[in-house]
Amino acid sequence: MLPEMLLELRPNLDYAAVVVLFCIGLYAVIVKNNLIKKLLGLNIMETAVFAFIVTSGMVEGGAPPVLGPGVMPPLASPLPHALILTGIVVALATTALALALIIRIYLQHGTIEADQLRELD
Amino acid sequence: MEIVDPRPLLALGISLACALLVFATGRHYGRRVLWSMGAALLKFGVVISLLPGAMAGEVYLFRLVEFPPGVGIGFRVDLMGLFFALVSSTLWIFTTIYAIGYMRGEADRAQVRFFGFFALCVAATVGIAFAENLLTLFIFYELLTVCTYPLVIHKETPAALKAGRKYLIYTLGGGGLVLLGLVLVQHAAGTLSFGQTGLLAAGAHDGPLGGGPLGGGQLGLIFAVLVLGFGVKAAVMPLHGWLPSAMVAPTPVSALLHAVAVVKAGAFGILRVIYDIFGLELLAQLNFTQALAWLAVVSIIGGSLLAWRQVNLKRRLAYSTVSQVSYILLAASLLNPTATVVAIMHLANQGFAKITMFFVAGAIEQGSGRTEINQLDGIGRQMPWSLAAFTVAALSFIGVPLLAGFLTKWLVILGALEGEAWWFAAVMVISGLLNAVYWLPVVYRAYFRPVTGVVADPGWLLRGPIIACAAFVVLLGTTAHFHLLPFSVASEAARVIWAEVAN
Amino acid sequence: MAAALTVSWSALAAWPHWLIVLILLPLGGAVLTPALYALQRRLVPWWALLVAGLTALTVLPLLWRLAHEGPFSYLPGGWARPYGVELRFDEFAALLAAAVALLAPPVLLFSRRYAARAVPAGRLPFYYTLLLLNLGGLLGLAITADLFNLFVFLEVVSLSAYALVAVGGRPVAELAAFKYLLMGAISSLLILLAVGILFALTGSLNMADVAQRLPALATPAALTLAAAALLVGFMLKAALFPLHNWLPEAHASAPGAVSAVLSGLVVKAGIIGLVRTYQLFAGVELLDTANLGAILVWLGAASVVMGSFFAVFQHDLKLMLAYSTITNIGYIVMGWALASPQAMLGASLHLFNHALIKTTLFLAAGALIYRTGLRTLEELRGIGRTMPLNCAALALGALAIVGVPPTAGFVGKWFIALGALQAGRPFFALVVVFGALLAAVYYVRIINAFYFREPEQKAVVTAREVPWSMLAPVLLLALLCLGIGLLARLPVEFLEPAVARLLDGRS
Repeated sequence: MLPEMLLELRPNLDYAAVVVLFCIGLYAVIVKNNLIKKLLGLNIMETAVFAFIVTSGMVEGGAPPVLGPGVMPPLASPLPHALILTGIVVALATTALALALIIRIYLQHGTIEADQLRELD
Repeated sequence: MEIVDPRPLLALGISLACALLVFATGRHYGRRVLWSMGAALLKFGVVISLLPGAMAGEVYLFRLVEFPPGVGIGFRVDLMGLFFALVSSTLWIFTTIYAIGYMRGEADRAQVRFFGFFALCVAATVGIAFAENLLTLFIFYELLTVCTYPLVIHKETPAALKAGRKYLIYTLGGGGLVLLGLVLVQHAAGTLSFGQTGLLAAGAHDGPLGGGPLGGGQLGLIFAVLVLGFGVKAAVMPLHGWLPSAMVAPTPVSALLHAVAVVKAGAFGILRVIYDIFGLELLAQLNFTQALAWLAVVSIIGGSLLAWRQVNLKRRLAYSTVSQVSYILLAASLLNPTATVVAIMHLANQGFAKITMFFVAGAIEQGSGRTEINQLDGIGRQMPWSLAAFTVAALSFIGVPLLAGFLTKWLVILGALEGEAWWFAAVMVISGLLNAVYWLPVVYRAYFRPVTGVVADPGWLLRGPIIACAAFVVLLGTTAHFHLLPFSVASEAARVIWAEVAN
Repeated sequence: MAAALTVSWSALAAWPHWLIVLILLPLGGAVLTPALYALQRRLVPWWALLVAGLTALTVLPLLWRLAHEGPFSYLPGGWARPYGVELRFDEFAALLAAAVALLAPPVLLFSRRYAARAVPAGRLPFYYTLLLLNLGGLLGLAITADLFNLFVFLEVVSLSAYALVAVGGRPVAELAAFKYLLMGAISSLLILLAVGILFALTGSLNMADVAQRLPALATPAALTLAAAALLVGFMLKAALFPLHNWLPEAHASAPGAVSAVLSGLVVKAGIIGLVRTYQLFAGVELLDTANLGAILVWLGAASVVMGSFFAVFQHDLKLMLAYSTITNIGYIVMGWALASPQAMLGASLHLFNHALIKTTLFLAAGALIYRTGLRTLEELRGIGRTMPLNCAALALGALAIVGVPPTAGFVGKWFIALGALQAGRPFFALVVVFGALLAAVYYVRIINAFYFREPEQKAVVTAREVPWSMLAPVLLLALLCLGIGLLARLPVEFLEPAVARLLDGRS
């Protein structure tokens, strides 16, 4: 029973991995108490989404879409890669801002544990 | 015949300008008095100048702005609205004089606020009277709510604030119901303009939004929502709770609530619902007014019984208002020409009599600090002018001939018999008796019990309005056949309403 | 004379590049701000105001062209659709763009004196940079016709918003900003995921193109996932109940001018996103959009009621205003999801009007805090006596947001209520009225405290009106709250065809 399901899943194994990653990230964001760990969870979620979009550009047997001598179609779609570059930049900015905020919070309150912060309010 | 004329806007503008001037420069006693009196007289002049034309069948229109397309702020002077405006602007003059005397001792800041918001309230009342459509009426109705609030909490004591809160909860709740009704009417009829023989009657056949003919259930909902919404301000039982609490306010404010503006605005709103939104024909088919009539009966009897139980003079007056205003609703719901006359006429009859009594109660409180009825022993001999006026008003409420209240009762009874509803005639008689039961003891005490303490009639600033209003009560009761006097205006208004039905 | 003027206007409006200028101006201005700060720090507020003013002027020819020609596109670099990036100016883009244009200059003018006190000196250049970035991002978000650009602009808006919440440096604000950031990042990821799915399914990113291709697909699961991800993502951004948790603290603890932008404009990014999502999926039969609509209607109604309900129990003035934003977002979403012409019209109007009114309220509240340093209603008692003009503006704004006719707040709610009846769902008309009553309750509390209670705090007794450069924008906006209500037939006539077109595209 189980192996059959896995077999069925095989062509979409990348998607399954993405979903698992996304859920791990979400779990960390929601459950973890430490703000840094929450942020790490967010990063894992980001990775999942990026991986999903990058793999969606894959073409069966496609070559890297870099033009040059001897490069013949089929080529992998280059657009997702370009998009994800932007996505990574955005994620970087988010992470940087979040880290800056965490530092400020630590300086102000002396802790970055969510439950202790809640008590301070 | 419809004529575009800016005078309705002018009447409104005078009160608004008065409010602004008072707020801006009212710290100075003389200016405050000048603006308030000047505006009151000027506005009365403008309103009365509309009367001859309106009696000749002219309808003055002035559309100001349409904000959602199709509906907007507009003014339309028909006789019913004009009658209401006349009553309130006449009473405004007397109340202003009285208030100048009554408020003299207060701090300037409090007085500025009082006279400013008072003018705003009167502006709102004119807006209600001259509203061309339900939206305009609603706007001014809510403006009236907002502007009476500062007056109710004038003393800023905990009791006043509590009464203010109660007032706001009741009236905003009522306003919400009216708003809901507004949306429903717009949806059902596609327009909100008055001046047809029933908005919904016209819209019921082909709704412009493709809604199809309206069912009785939907119409019933609209009727209930609007009548209850306006009923809050008209202090219909069981929605009257705010009115006795609001007695903490100074006397001129009570006059405003009970006679000049607020309660009347509710009653007037219901008149509009009956005559303009539903129309007599549609209502005659629907039988909703029967329910309204019984609601009015409950208020008339219940209000009287509660008034009887009060030992505080102003509270007795307040419950008596609950009873008296419902005369208007009862008369309107009888749906026949005689009753229509009195539905409109009673706006004035109740107003002048009730304001007289409030003025006297205020004068007694001001002069001697007495507020309870059992403190009034012998006061009639010490304050002969005031108590004479009070007695006239009380007799009017009881229904003694030659006074305004008699006309009301007489015509309601005639109307009820015309509609073969003798039990409403009986209610009138019972109500008259109840009025006698709770007013005559007050009069008896004042004249026939031994004098206690030292009191005297108030100064002329208070005494003048008291006497003038009492004189009006007599005038209203004796001049039914003179052209351009209130009774003829009311009967002409009723005739116009019924003429539209006949066509 | 008039004819010549008309001709020159149309010639001006015909210049094709206004759309790209509209984005480049504020973004470019933002980038240059720190440099200017290094050169001439006192000029920075004026510079930001200048940029905002020019941006606002840029909107005018666009509106002119839209009114005369209908929606139009701009293809940067001349790449044809669907390969290139497309900017498109339709009525809904115009709504948000007009709101930004109208509100940005007053907010920035207000900021000059306000931020000098509310923001630590070293952060001032970043304050202006972030504000301009935020406004530029909003404009980009409004006019982009490309899914991925939608995401990028949304991130520009969101990131600058997170930072803006914290820019004042209050300890509460930084924590609130972090919370906001987490929620915002999750919603952004959901949106990015949906964009990825849609791209994988259709091979296109152009929204009109995607909308055309979607109905041909036979993958209900993927479509549902994409739609759901977009929906939840934008709901989070718009702070629709029950995803509203992050909003009140973030909006209340930010500096006043920032709160105004966040509450008035930034949450509208989520609404525009929902509108665009609706446009994407309107033609897809596999997906029952009516079901999505049904969910949104109820969530909208819940937002209306719950937002007001929470607001009633607040003591902090700005928290009240923040909860009121949740209520108003509820109105807009409910109106949209009712999907009858009048309800959609009402929602669109309210989108704009709420932006105006809430900005007025937050600026006025900011001015009170600027002068007194006090935030709760109890502390601010009697402030109406010492700061009468500012409080009058606040009172007018309060009346407008309650929806008292003829203020701007009335028209939107009026049409939403009528639209609910038109859609045959009278219950939601009741919700509109009930919501207005609830709002009346807590706004009356504010007015009552300001005008009818004796002042207790020394700061209140000694307070003066704020300087003119702060008071003027507040008063101007308050007057607009009234004026735009009175002139409401113009936007109604402007939006009616757009709504009709949108609903036609659906059937």
